[in-house]
Amino acid sequence: MIRDTIRPGTILRVLVLVALIAFLVAPERFAGLLAPLTTNNAPPIYNQGSLVDLTLSHLFTVAISTLAAAVVAVSLAVFVTRPAGREFLALSRAVVNIGQTFPPVAVLALSVPAMGFGEAPTRMALFLYGLLPIFENTLVGLSTLPPAVVEAASAMGMTGRQRLLKVELPLAMPLILEGLRLSAVIGLATATIGSTVAAKGLGEVIIAGLLSNNLAFIVQGGVITGVLAVLISDGFQAVARQAAKKSGTRPQTET
Amino acid sequence: MTMLADAGPDEPAASWRIDRLGVVIALLLVVALALPFATFRATRIASGTGLLLHEALPAPAAAAAAAALVAALAGAVTLRRPALRLAAGVLALVALALGVGAAAAFLTPADNPYARIAPGSGFWVGVFAAAMLVTDAMVRLRLGPAGRLIALAMTAALIAALLASGAWSRLSLLAEYRSRADVFWREANTHVILAAGSLAAAVAVGLPLGILAHRVRRLRDPMINVLNVIQTIPSMALFGILIAPLGWIAANVPGAHALGIRGIGMAPAFLALFLYSLLPMVANTIVGLNGVSRAVVDAARGMGLTGLQRLFQVEMPLALPVILTGIRIVLVQNIGLATVAALIGGGGFGVFLFQGLGQTATDLILLGALPPVALAFAAAVVLDAVIEISGRGKP
Amino acid sequence: MIELSHLTKVYGDIPVVNDVDMTIATGTITVIVGTSGSGKSTLLRMVNRLIEPTEGRVFIEGRDVSHLPAHELRRSIGYAIQNHGLFPHWTVARNIATVPLLLGWDREKVRARVAELMELFQLDHDQFADRYPHELSGGQQQRVGVARAMAARPALLLMDEPFGALDPIIRAKAQADLKAIQRRTGTTILLVTHDMAEAIHLGDRIAVMDGGLLKQYAPAADILARPADAFVDDLIGVVDRPFHYLTLGTVGAAVEPGEADGAPLNADASLYEGLGALLWSGRKAAPVVDAAGRDVGRVSLDSIAERAARPT
Repeated sequence: MIRDTIRPGTILRVLVLVALIAFLVAPERFAGLLAPLTTNNAPPIYNQGSLVDLTLSHLFTVAISTLAAAVVAVSLAVFVTRPAGREFLALSRAVVNIGQTFPPVAVLALSVPAMGFGEAPTRMALFLYGLLPIFENTLVGLSTLPPAVVEAASAMGMTGRQRLLKVELPLAMPLILEGLRLSAVIGLATATIGSTVAAKGLGEVIIAGLLSNNLAFIVQGGVITGVLAVLISDGFQAVARQAAKKSGTRPQTET
Repeated sequence: MTMLADAGPDEPAASWRIDRLGVVIALLLVVALALPFATFRATRIASGTGLLLHEALPAPAAAAAAAALVAALAGAVTLRRPALRLAAGVLALVALALGVGAAAAFLTPADNPYARIAPGSGFWVGVFAAAMLVTDAMVRLRLGPAGRLIALAMTAALIAALLASGAWSRLSLLAEYRSRADVFWREANTHVILAAGSLAAAVAVGLPLGILAHRVRRLRDPMINVLNVIQTIPSMALFGILIAPLGWIAANVPGAHALGIRGIGMAPAFLALFLYSLLPMVANTIVGLNGVSRAVVDAARGMGLTGLQRLFQVEMPLALPVILTGIRIVLVQNIGLATVAALIGGGGFGVFLFQGLGQTATDLILLGALPPVALAFAAAVVLDAVIEISGRGKP
Repeated sequence: MIELSHLTKVYGDIPVVNDVDMTIATGTITVIVGTSGSGKSTLLRMVNRLIEPTEGRVFIEGRDVSHLPAHELRRSIGYAIQNHGLFPHWTVARNIATVPLLLGWDREKVRARVAELMELFQLDHDQFADRYPHELSGGQQQRVGVARAMAARPALLLMDEPFGALDPIIRAKAQADLKAIQRRTGTTILLVTHDMAEAIHLGDRIAVMDGGLLKQYAPAADILARPADAFVDDLIGVVDRPFHYLTLGTVGAAVEPGEADGAPLNADASLYEGLGALLWSGRKAAPVVDAAGRDVGRVSLDSIAERAARPT
């Protein structure tokens, strides 16, 4: 909706990334920074597991769920925009609109009875919720292509498959990427809550802080996830901008 | 995005063909019939045994429920008129709702008040299939905003009637509710205050900010960028991070503590929801105002309206649908996020949800998860209708 | 030769194209002209089966087009449209190469063909080949669109309002260029427009459509001289008719022996241009020279006026 979002200093972002990596690799060195947040000599750095491991499994959970959601959602969106799937289009649109009113945390909680505790319900919830923005954006991308371009593709003698792969999907790519970005960002947040159902991730740090009243834990868990989310979101936006620039269309960032 | 209102043009009905969507729904209903309709657990957290429809209900009731489901199934495949398809879907939903209540009453042993009967996977698959059928029919009916509001009110009334009549009273979810009815309504109240209160605050602050950013171009990008970054931070992280400054304020600013400001509790949750809400409010205000055609603004200026008159008599009314869309996004989002507030002691339905997760008590999880889902859905339907009505007669 | 036989398209109960028969000679430009909703675009699209006819057939060189897979048929027919439909994510060169690549031409041949077409359409290869469509002006985009349509040397080129989005000056040049290129390549062109002047200027034959019916199909001069009915008459415009007529003849055809003063006219200029030159310079007559600059006589207002009168 708002054109071109942030681009102040790539340098700033690189610095933040470097700081994040430094913190993850050697958190003890930052102990002094976090110590004022603790009371009663509580440890200022999370000590019940390695921050690097937690970060990596957090990212891994988000990555595979988002990837799976992307494969399924893009395929579905392609299907309902082909003649063969046209009759499912209106319903699928309505289902996605309804689905997006479901709070991600509720989706997570509801998948626990179905799947038990651990990584599985978190990944399932991330996958299910991740489908929605990707499907919606792909659908918008595929159904708002300039009619003259699509007609030209047919008129040049492209087969349906050629038209899809050479013209429609590349032109919808900026929007598909925006859907991926939304899914990944929501996934990062929901995965934090996944720690309450025993998924390994950065939520553990925050929850440990909440349970032991240790502000230092809460802040380091929160800042790591927040920084990851902002960096990943920015990364997607940068790629989407590249894709949009190449296709000569404006990036359509929905906010 | 208006739910249930954006159907594409219907294909001219070809002579006679099987409705392929109906086939999918029918298959789902068949699966539903083959899965356990209800589960029986000896105690609240014991593991359950699944019972098929004919095991969960006395024979006549089971036959009636099965007949209703088969009729709906046949209707989904063969009926073409949306109104009839809607009727088939509603029939299936009512059969499932009454059936599950009856199953609970039938299965509860007289001598074991701790036994819990919950809907089984078959029930849920059936509800999903029937809901698909209803949704599809509603899409094809292309109801106007009033029609959608009436449909929502009727659904709410139907659920209220089922609750009040005692038809569901033996279900485990309601047993769970009964044992904590007081707390439930208190947390419901907190949840609504968190979601709606932070929305109100965001409107009060976001509208002026949006108007300001619309008028002062160079504020626009930095403002949107900052708000964008805030939106990106995961809720649990933001809740957590805000504990630090609020805790400090409570401890060090005289009078802050008396105002209810605490490091833990509602204050950081409210503040976090407020911050999340600002982006959609500000962004949609800007987009809405930008969308007002230049010619209209020029005409208003040409007729001698002052800046404020122009804003309130011309620009804001024309931007209203887009601003309302921002409010819809915020409200639906906040109803969901308020659930997370329980993690930092902020209350709300999340209290039950996270307790349930902690105790692996499915019923308690449902008690915490279903109300926000229903609230968010209802809020979306109502605001979509309002947006559509407000947009009438405008480009 | 292209033959449209009883071609009909019905939407709901409404015939958008109603039983049209037409024969188009190879190597000519045929213009279908009509108001919006006349069915002219639908007729055009049935030729390459972007729209499938309800009834009737299309034969190209005697072959029924419905016997080929649609995408193969379309690769053999060029197609250019008003909003050019260039692929925004591909460079100019890649756009022009679309059909040759679909046909599996080898790389070198494609490259040579793209270069050849860019020269033909006056687009400097070094400057434009790697640009994206949104970096071009409207006129350049339109030329790339036509170049792309002609890339695989189609024997038939379909054009739907190809100049509709251009401003008048660029449009006149684009029309003249198209005519010159067609004369050079001998491509058969079927072009749709709502602009009668464009039809008269470009068309060897003109087909007038209204309400899905083919009202008249004849050379431009015949249409002007003997409009089939009131609708065709209206489309031409009563006031403009003599002037349209003058655009069809050349000054050379009206030459009479004798001498005149002032700047000479070219024999191959249209009578319309000749009339304009005489009126503006206030002369009754002007000398005429041929392409080599030799004096061939003179042309007078009277001799031009004779040729603007309805033929009897």
